Formats: sequence, structure tokens, C-alpha cells
Amino acid sequence: MDINSVKTQISADLALVNSSAQLEEFKLKHFSRKGTLSQLTAVIPTLAPAERAKFGQEVNAFKNSITALIAEKERVLQAGVQSGPAVDYDIGMPGIVQELGRLHPITQTINEISAIFTRMGFCVVEGPEIETEFNNFTGLNIPLEHPSRDAFDTFYLKDYEKLLLRSHTSPVQVRAMKSRKPPLAIVVPGRVYRPDAVDASHLFMFHQIEGFMVDTSITFADLKGSLEMFAKAVFGNDIKMRFRPHFFPFTEPSAEVDISCIICKGVGCSVCGRKGWLEILGCGMIHPNVFKQVGINARIYSGFAFGMGIERIAMLKYGINDIRLFFENDLRFLKQF
Amino acid sequence: MKVTYNWLKDFVDIKIPPDDLAERLTMAGLEVVTLEKKGSDFVFEIEITSNRPDWLSVMGIAREVAAITKSKVKSQKSKVQFKIQKSKQEKFEIKIENKKDCPLYTAKIIRGVQVGPSPEWLRTRLESIGCRSVNNIVDITNYVLFETGEPLHAFDLDKLSGFAIIVRRAKPGEKMVTIDGAEKQLSSDILVIADERKPVACAGIMGGKDTEVTGDTKNVLLEAAVFDPVLIRRAKQKLGLQSESAYRFERSVDASMVERASEIAAELIEKLSPGKTVLIKRAGACKSLKKNIILDLSRVTKILGVKIPAPRIKSILLSLGFMVKAKAQSKFSVWPPSHRQDVALDVDLIEEVARIYGYERIPPTLPSVKPQLAARDTLDTVSLIKNILTGLGLNEAITYSMTERSLDAGLGSLEKLRAVEIRNPVSCEQEILRTSLMPSLVRCAALNLNQKQDYVNLFEIARKFYLSDNGPREELCLGIVLCGSKSLALEQSMVKDEVGLFHLKGALENMFLRLGIKDAVFSSEPGGVRIDLGGKKAGYMLRLSPGARDKFDIKNREVFVAEVSLEKVIPALNLKKKFSAPPKYPGITRDISLLLEDSVRIEEVFKAMRSAGGDLLKDLKVADFYKGTQIPAGWRGLTLSCFYRSDERTLVEAEVAPAHAKVGLVLTERFGARIR
Repeated sequence: MDINSVKTQISADLALVNSSAQLEEFKLKHFSRKGTLSQLTAVIPTLAPAERAKFGQEVNAFKNSITALIAEKERVLQAGVQSGPAVDYDIGMPGIVQELGRLHPITQTINEISAIFTRMGFCVVEGPEIETEFNNFTGLNIPLEHPSRDAFDTFYLKDYEKLLLRSHTSPVQVRAMKSRKPPLAIVVPGRVYRPDAVDASHLFMFHQIEGFMVDTSITFADLKGSLEMFAKAVFGNDIKMRFRPHFFPFTEPSAEVDISCIICKGVGCSVCGRKGWLEILGCGMIHPNVFKQVGINARIYSGFAFGMGIERIAMLKYGINDIRLFFENDLRFLKQF
Repeated sequence: MKVTYNWLKDFVDIKIPPDDLAERLTMAGLEVVTLEKKGSDFVFEIEITSNRPDWLSVMGIAREVAAITKSKVKSQKSKVQFKIQKSKQEKFEIKIENKKDCPLYTAKIIRGVQVGPSPEWLRTRLESIGCRSVNNIVDITNYVLFETGEPLHAFDLDKLSGFAIIVRRAKPGEKMVTIDGAEKQLSSDILVIADERKPVACAGIMGGKDTEVTGDTKNVLLEAAVFDPVLIRRAKQKLGLQSESAYRFERSVDASMVERASEIAAELIEKLSPGKTVLIKRAGACKSLKKNIILDLSRVTKILGVKIPAPRIKSILLSLGFMVKAKAQSKFSVWPPSHRQDVALDVDLIEEVARIYGYERIPPTLPSVKPQLAARDTLDTVSLIKNILTGLGLNEAITYSMTERSLDAGLGSLEKLRAVEIRNPVSCEQEILRTSLMPSLVRCAALNLNQKQDYVNLFEIARKFYLSDNGPREELCLGIVLCGSKSLALEQSMVKDEVGLFHLKGALENMFLRLGIKDAVFSSEPGGVRIDLGGKKAGYMLRLSPGARDKFDIKNREVFVAEVSLEKVIPALNLKKKFSAPPKYPGITRDISLLLEDSVRIEEVFKAMRSAGGDLLKDLKVADFYKGTQIPAGWRGLTLSCFYRSDERTLVEAEVAPAHAKVGLVLTERFGARIR
């Protein structure tokens, strides 16, 4: 086989290739295991040793040049597929779409918080908004005639002495602990009601999320760890956190949790009242009197509970300065989330 | 509660600067909300939780400062001993009607006082904590109240009738003008301090105008007492009065400090005004119930999750004034001091230990959770529905559960429910709990239209409330409101799409489909469209009447609303999915263009066409419709698309033609359609 005639043949064939199919055929004819080039190299062992190297180099050089030509051919053929009559798009014109609706920022915040806790193994439960006085107060160790009740101003129903609109989500603790057996790990989002005068940070209706965990060895240290994980997930890993002793009738020991101000990073600004800290939630170890009311043995079981205002979290997260915006439902507001 | 740095220093050595002290107090549970420099002193404003009345005094906070700074409270032995000149003429009685209402009442008679302005130091201290200076006698009672936490009251002795103080319930019809000048109607659930003729003070809340200390007062009766907290709380709520005294009594005061506080005040009066204590009277007793609490040290670890050494636990409790005795192996017997009535259980002690040890020193750990897999519930369904609806372009709203009675009724809802009323609304917006989501959603639509939004599409999933035969009930509902027009972009142009009832229907149909609900039926009723699921009424949709729109000030815009009970949707839910193979053989589509009278219902037409088309007719669709000038009035133009297919073979024209002819025949013969 003469190398020069092979060269001529291959070059001529390539020039005739005009489609991808022809290119495949061409490759098969010349470059496959039984193709022309293989036949050419097959003669190498029969050559005199002195000629072998020279011949081999010549074949390789040709192979490289033809490979480049094939690549060029492929590019040209590809371009041919893509071109066609040219369209001059004014691509700045709007895309055509069915616009998606948005979930309310409160729902988004509840979803985000619930998701963090469900990933930790909690399950989400709801309770009624019309509650009994017992579940809202007495069952939670809040005496009916004590100043500790002042924090829970409450709407009562007309004609129903002992029924009210729950002033916090904690009554669901009483319900859940009565109807289920430990171990418990539950979060409860929902609406709550308090007859507060309306201003930029107070409303007569808002949302809370409550969480609690009950088992044989739940500690205050666990409460700290769980809430730290939560706060970092919501506000970022670089926030600082502090647990301040506080008082809630349904937990002992109790704490309020502050995070370093997310606006000024703890230096002090108008959002945090120059304190550098933002209060985000209340928590503590479930009070033995609450366990007693629901029939859980406080000698065996212990548990933590926490609660927070959703609006407050959402306002901090999104930088919203007036709580009333949440309930006006101005589409220009809703569509920002 | 306000307290100053220097005032605290009267009772405890403080070696740290004010801002450090503020930080330490905050981290011990006395949240310092503001710290302000005033002259040479610093004023701390501290938020005191309702369980700690003992912190409502300088001495109480000083005790805490001593504990957290490992310092000691300075001893406060009385420097002056009362030398009472026994006088035969002094006779005075205290009568307590009911010891439960008033366990202890003490009175001192101080004669020869000169009422005048207070000395500079006293005025400055009171004013620095926001208490207005009145005169030396009143200022002293206030000063002692803030210092010791024990409320005191000074009567002008000469204005009291007779020689007795009677602590009793008010009689029906009795009235009294309090120091603030208001006349108060009294009743038998209000405890009063009375002379032999009439009430002279609302016990523990406020004194009477008639017997108050004035510039002419020469002799005073100084009261220091203990009253029943609940009684005081009820009375102050009933009378609408708030005072520093009531604030402390309703939280309960330290009975063991009552006489001491009275002595401090009497001493000051003797010092600052040339008065002399001539008589000390007391009725009732300060009963101190010494009950001990067993603190098992293993419980401290079990609750806190950190092991605090026993000696540290003991030293913390001692520093807070508790008495501690080792009881058994790793058990303490602990007696709370008299000012700590809030401490009743071991967890209360554990909190004290944790507070002083420092919450920040308890290392965070993660609990081991035993996972519970909850069954799919309402919340998951609600979440799914919300996702479907937002996918359909609707925006979620959240509106108030309460509303005005006048807005709740008469929106044309197909059912009338009895509303649950609120006993104590703050404004008329909270008169009742809404019986439908519609009014609040329409209100949102009105707001958005006012803001020049031309397309409003909102939904809400929330509860409505009503009175059932078994009392108040809540029911989870979906509400949708649509109004205005949206711009639809097509490939070649934009068109304005005026929304209507069929947009609502489309959204609901889509939602039902996605929820696996196949038996939703929409049927026209007077006033709107009824929606049935599984043969039961589940909701309605309607176009607001002009009258209803007027209520919301919506002009020149049609508003469409729907409400569906999720309590009916959830049982109908079918999220199980079953595979069926895509058809093997292609089908043939035949369109029929026709004119149909408006009165002919499309559902009837489809039903008849289906039965005429037989098995081969697999699908029927409205491919186009038109109403307008080219068509006679009372008629509409329709193009119906019939899809024929066989599961066994590829259909040929010869098979489709007879079936399609039958379908056409039904249209003309049964429905009077004109084929075009």
C-alpha cells in the first residue's frame, strides 16, 4: 500500500463529505479497526528496521492533519444545522409567563421555622383558636388572679363564661401532652389574640410558634443547643446568642433569648434600642405543675418549651418596620416575598 | 422599677462600675432596660418579673447585687431606739374584721410633726427615680416604700373620727374621694380602712382625700400592713386604680419587714420633722410558715444538664438568703427566706442556682430525639393547596379573624351562620368572629384597587367561626377573591383578560384535579354557584352584587369570590396515583362548528354526544367559542372537538365517520344546533 495514494484518497473523500451521516461513513471507511489507516500501519512490521521509524512518523503526521480537518468539518456541519433564516430578536422584551403567586411572608416564616425543627425530629401540630380558660391559663400554671396574668390580656367569648380566644399557642402543650405519651417533640404554629391597642408593633391578632420536647433526659443544656441551632439557621452562623433568666409561669427555670442585633452586629442601633441585642423568644424547662395537670410524672420526665412571635421574627428577617403591613395584604407588599 | 447606684451602695459595697453592674443584673434576670447618668448618680430602670415582688425595692435589689458580686449586704440595725413616752391619754384601737383580708396591721401615732418641703437629698433621690416630691411626710412614706418594698400610708390623725382604725369590707352604697380627687363607688368586695364613721382609704391601693396629710397636719397615723393579694388585685381592677402600693400588695409583700419599714419611716419623720412617736399599735400577726424544700443534687444535673459542685450550690443558696442543711447523701434541706414566697419547689431552687451560676456557663448540647413519623395531616394538605394556588398565580393573604358585624352579614353568602361574639372587644373591628372569609378578603381587594392595582387575585386559608347547636365551632376554609383584569402575553400580542366567575372555576377545578378529587360539581343557584364534593355542599362562588360592593366602596369593578370548606375537601382527597399505559394507537380529532342557543346547557350537550359517540369517542372539548355581532342574539358560536381512538387498532376514516355522524345528528336533533 502506497502511503501517498492513501493520502490522496482520504483527502479527496473528506472533501466530498457534506453531512453528518457521510462523515460517519468516512470515519468508518478510513479510521475504523479495519479502515484504510489501520491497513497502512499494519505493514510497519514488514519494513526494514531503518525505515520503520520514518514511515511511522509520516503516518502519524498525516493522521494528525486529517484529525484536525475532520474536527473542522464537524464544526462546519454543526453550524449548518443551527443557522437558517436569521431572526432579529429584541431580547429585551418581556418573556411570556404565567406569573406565580406568593405565599404570605408569615406563612414563609412559619414554614422556614417549622422546617428547621422538623429536620431536628419535631413534628408540627395545630390546635383550636377558641380555647378553654383551663388550657389557656390554669393548665399552664397561670393563676387566674395573679399579676402574672397581666401579660396575657385575653379576648373572651360572649355567652360562654369559660371560653376565650387563645392568647398564646401554649394551650396546645396541654392538649398534646394529655393526648400523647412521651417522648414528645412538637412545634405548634398558629394565630393568637390579645386585646392590645394597635400600633406599629402591636396588634390584636398575631402568630406564634411554640415548641416543646419531653423525654426522660431533656435538660436546659439541650434547650440551649436546640435553640442555638434554630437561631443560627434563621439568622446566620455568625450571630451571638444569650440566655437571660426570666419568668414564665409554665417553665422553671425560664429564660429569654437574645441574639446579637442583626442590623448593627451588636454595636447598638435604633432597631435594638442601642442595646446591641434583640429579644427573640422565651423558653424554659416545663414546670412540674404543668406536668401534673396533664398527668406526666415530673420525677421521670423532664422537658423544655419555647415560644416566639412569628411577626417579630419576620420583621427582623425582612426589615419590616410596621406589623400592620402583614394584614393589609397590599399586593405591592406581598409580591416582595 | 427604678433604682440608683448610690442608693444601692447604702446597702451593699459595689466594686464594679454601673454599666458592668447593669450587665450582671440583666444576666441574673433583672433586665436593665435603661441606664442613665443623673448628676453624680446613675439610674437603673429594671424590668421586674411578676414573680419577684422582693425585687421591687432598693434593699431587695441590693441583696441580689450582693449575691451576684459575692459581696455582703450591710447590716441595717436601727440606730435609734424608740423611747415612747407613755402617755395615759393616748388610746387607739385597731380592729380587723377578717384576718384573711388583712393578716397584719400596724399603726404608729406621731405627734407634733411639721409638714414642709423635704430636704434636698430626699427630693433628689425620689425625683431621680421618677417620684414627685409632695411634702416631707408623704415623701418619707414613699422613700421607705421604694427602699424596703413595704407600702406605707400616713393619715392626718386629727381628721380621723374617733379612736379606732377598722379594717373592713366596704358597705354597699359607701363612697370615698381618693387622693387623686376622684369619687369612688365602693362595694363589699373592696377592703377599706375606716375610722369610726366612714372609709378613709381603699386598703392597699390609695388613701382618701379627706384624711390626707396637708400643710396643716400636726399629728399623723402611720400605717404599715399586709393585705390579701387577690383582694387588692380585684379591688384595683374594679376601681380602675393603679398605685405603687397596689402593685406591691397584689404581688404580696414580705410580712416580716412590715414593722421594720414602719420604724425606718418613723425614725425619718422624727429626724426630719420634730415629731415624736407616742403610740405603737399592732393587730394580727406576721405568721412565717417555715417550710423546707428537699433539693436532690442529682435533680440539679438532670434539669440543667451540667454538674455544679455541691459546695457551689450551697454557697449560691446561702448568698441569696436561703438556709441550707445537708440532709442525706447529695441532698440538701433548704429554707427560703421570708421575702421569697415565690420559691416552693425544687425547680425554683434549681433556677436560683442556675441564675447565679450563670446560664451562659451551661454548655449547649443537642437532645437525642426519638423520631416520630406523624401521619399526613391537615397541615400537609393545607400546604399542598397553598402551593397549588400560588402555582396558579394566586397570592396568599392573611386577614383578621374578627370583624364588624355589619360587614360580616349580607355578602350574598348562600348560608347564614350565627356569629360568635366577643365579650370584650377593644374596637368595633373585633365585635364578632367572622362567619366567612369573604368580607376580609373583599376588604383587601378594595384596598388594592384603591392603590391602583388593576388585578387582584388573593386567597386565604383560615378558620371561620359560628355558633352550632353544641356551642362555638371553627371551620377551616379556603377563600378566594378575584377582580380586575390581567394582561396576557401571547406570542404576537398582549391581550387584556377581564377576570370573571370562570377564572374562579378554573382555579378550583385545577385544584380539585391536583388533589385527586374527581366528583366536584358546580351548579347554579339563585345568587351564585354551589360547589358539591361527594354529593355534599362544600362551598360556593359568586359575583358580588353592586350593593355588597358599595359596602366596601368598590366602584365600577366586578368582584368574584369563592369559599370552600377544607373540612369537606380533606375527606374527598385522593392522592394515590395509579399508572395507566399511554395509548398505543393514535386517535383522530374531528371538530364540529355550530351555533347553539344560550339556554342550552353544555353539560347536557356533552352527555348526549358521549352516549351517541360510543366507545370510540374518548374526549370532548370546547375548542373555541364566540359571541358577537356575527351571530344571532341569544345564540353562541362553538367549536367542539371530538377525539376518537381505539385501544385495539389504528382507526381508519371509515370507522370514525359513522360515529361522528351520530354525534352531529344528536346536536341538531336534540339541541337544535345549527352546524356551520
